[in-house]
Amino acid sequence: MTPDFTGTHLWDRLCWAKENLEPHQSDYRVVYEDSIDECAKILVPDPNWMACALQGGILPPVEVYWELAKDEAQPDFKRHTRGYLLHETPPVGPMTEEEAIEYLIQKDVPQHVWRNWDEGNRPKMVICRKQQLPQTRVWRNAWRISDEIKVAA
Amino acid sequence: MAGTIVADTLTHSTAGSLTTDYVVNGSAKAWVSLNGTGTAAIRDSHNTSSITDAGTGVYYSTFSSAMNNASFSGGSHVIGLSNGDLVATGEATAPTTTTFRVGCRTVGGTLLDPEYAMTNVHGDLA
Repeated sequence: MTPDFTGTHLWDRLCWAKENLEPHQSDYRVVYEDSIDECAKILVPDPNWMACALQGGILPPVEVYWELAKDEAQPDFKRHTRGYLLHETPPVGPMTEEEAIEYLIQKDVPQHVWRNWDEGNRPKMVICRKQQLPQTRVWRNAWRISDEIKVAA
Repeated sequence: MAGTIVADTLTHSTAGSLTTDYVVNGSAKAWVSLNGTGTAAIRDSHNTSSITDAGTGVYYSTFSSAMNNASFSGGSHVIGLSNGDLVATGEATAPTTTTFRVGCRTVGGTLLDPEYAMTNVHGDLA
């Protein structure tokens, strides 16, 4: 059972999770394109992070990361002054693996990709299984989402 | 939180003392070991929410608990078991408080996927 981590520094919560939770290797991958000049990128969930997401009571709401990203985007940004949001905002409850992937997309994929993933001529992002990804790197470097993989409904 | 010890100084029976600032400031705040071959995979980590495979030999790691600023120190090491000497590079991208990028190149400068890419980050947490 997760201790009551209210007000506990997020890093300390992660230390507890590392000590007490079994890592969870997810089969899900997120493929996205954030630049027309670069190949598709592949987001790989971290097994220890995924264990935290499934357990609940450890990770802050994803909106906290958006607030910090807003601060960092300011031209005069030097250091975070609202880091307490990570530690003092009540943590979110347990997620399913699919909910955890949605959270991770909103945290680690650039916002301009996931907010408009289905706008334009073709999708910019797709969630798939690891087994669906091409194993050959030479091919993958020239890979585009709509050519090789279908978008899940 | 149960089990908490509050201490400003650690003292060894014969080797002297040091303040716990050394421990707090000297500990790595994030680390990850990944396999870049095939479809990239994370072996183990701490304070990492994901890695992103951004093309041959180029990876981002993203932190769960953000750094206080982007002036932290990051170190990387890469090993290619069948590719001779490799060099870890920064790939011309400035770090942010939540991301750190590492590249892997041969001594000749060609990007290459290593069996082991390992990074660690030191600095202040937000």
